[in-house]
Amino acid sequence: MNTNYSLIIIGGGLSGLAAGIRYARFGGSVLILEKHTIPGGLNSYYSRKGFLLETGLHAMTNFADPGEKHAPLNRLFRQLKLSRKQFITHEQFSSLIHFPDKTTLSFSNDFSLLRDEVARVFPSEIDGFDKLQAFIDSLDAFAPNPRLSTRMILADYIHDPLLTEMLLLPLMVYGNSEEHDMDFSQFAIMFRSIFKEGMFRPHGTIKDFLDLLVTKFTSFGGEIRYKSHVVSCLKKGNRITGVTLANGEIINCNNVISTIGAPGTWNLLSLPPENDMCGKMSFMESIYILPSNARKNILNDHTIIFYSEKKEFQYCRPQSPVDPSWGVICFPENFQNLPLGDHFQIRVTNAANYELWKNASSSQYKLMKVEWGKVSKEITTKIIGNYQQNIVYEDSFTPLTIEKFTAKEQGAVYGSPFKIKNGKTPCPNLFIAGTDQGFLGIVGSMLSGVSMVNQHILQE
Amino acid sequence: MTRNEIKDIVIEIIEDIDEDAEMDSLDSEKPLRDQLDLDSMDFLDIVMELRKRYKLQIPEADYPQLATLTSCVNYLEPKLQDV
Repeated sequence: MNTNYSLIIIGGGLSGLAAGIRYARFGGSVLILEKHTIPGGLNSYYSRKGFLLETGLHAMTNFADPGEKHAPLNRLFRQLKLSRKQFITHEQFSSLIHFPDKTTLSFSNDFSLLRDEVARVFPSEIDGFDKLQAFIDSLDAFAPNPRLSTRMILADYIHDPLLTEMLLLPLMVYGNSEEHDMDFSQFAIMFRSIFKEGMFRPHGTIKDFLDLLVTKFTSFGGEIRYKSHVVSCLKKGNRITGVTLANGEIINCNNVISTIGAPGTWNLLSLPPENDMCGKMSFMESIYILPSNARKNILNDHTIIFYSEKKEFQYCRPQSPVDPSWGVICFPENFQNLPLGDHFQIRVTNAANYELWKNASSSQYKLMKVEWGKVSKEITTKIIGNYQQNIVYEDSFTPLTIEKFTAKEQGAVYGSPFKIKNGKTPCPNLFIAGTDQGFLGIVGSMLSGVSMVNQHILQE
Repeated sequence: MTRNEIKDIVIEIIEDIDEDAEMDSLDSEKPLRDQLDLDSMDFLDIVMELRKRYKLQIPEADYPQLATLTSCVNYLEPKLQDV
């Protein structure tokens, strides 16, 4: 077996797989080391009672028709030499932002729906909304901009705090690592990926998508090893010369891309973490499986519902184990032209407090899962109607589950609030890709992997 | 390699990079990027593919010389003469 690679990639999630394909495509020798038994990281899957359950994916963002050459999704496919035409997509029905007093905004992959909705519900705000949209269009959000507060910028365009909250909820919950506020570049990227480009699902499951990527990677000569947990990096001076696995095996390399986040990467270098690198935003997610005929009893015509019971939602680590007062209800079958099966799923996501789950004893932990699942079900029932009596199977995961399976410290799904946009680390041949480099979502994290290879490794 | 062979290679590489590239109407004297709507990431692919196939190292400073099909051939001709 080869024990010297030009590139080692730590982590077989979407950013690692994309980086691997990109490098292997031009003949570079590359090894992906994944600590889990299957690929995917945050976007993976598991099986229970004959159901394949997906872990991260609610929807992919950045929808674009195959003809839109410069759209991020299509660029990504060209860079990975994957055929966009053969990649079948299913667009969302529509999604709903649901706030108190039945204030709702719906949106779809046609941006004009959101604009019409803002004009309907907030007639005095539509000029400001149009100006905000024009400003976002004019911005190069990928340039190294200084951090600007989204709340401060939004205040220049939007005066009704309720509209600000309603616009922030979907964009924050789908990718903001910071509490309370958001970097405006990140807001602009998310505004485009979710509101302007829109949401879709690939045909098939996340497993099929991962299989496609792994097959592409190995067809270019790339190697991937599972159950291979990297525990440290070997250095000569400042340069990395190889990695050590948990079983003591040493593998040498010229370059390393780490997709395990900044805190985990600093750990491998035996460096103390800088600032407060760990993100605070983590979630509990429950998956409910119901028989198909239970659809008729509930509000079931949207793809995703972003809800808040209060006019202001608190985007932060809650004081209690879970904060069910706001969250996401996702219907993974509600995408256009998806074949209907015998069962369907409802997934509910709420902010959760890592420390409280971490400090619980194993009996408390089980009890908390049941109790908080109950509260979450009661609140979501008020929005979509009673689905509880029809649940045939349910499972939930907590910040601890996320930490265990994805290497996201403290279960912080969106990583550290301090992004390393150029990917550089204290070692000149070690780079960060994925969530902590700054791009989020499936398309974003994959583009992160591609762009780190392009910028730092391919042109050596 | 003859000039015509080099031209065919460049066209083949571009077709390989972009499944939608319309090569039939290409004007050899006009910038490839404009005609084919390529971005800098696609452009890098041309350079990388030449490197993979012929072990050619093209420094970033020389990228402007790959602007049109004709300038590509001019630039690559001496480098690929023994291939």
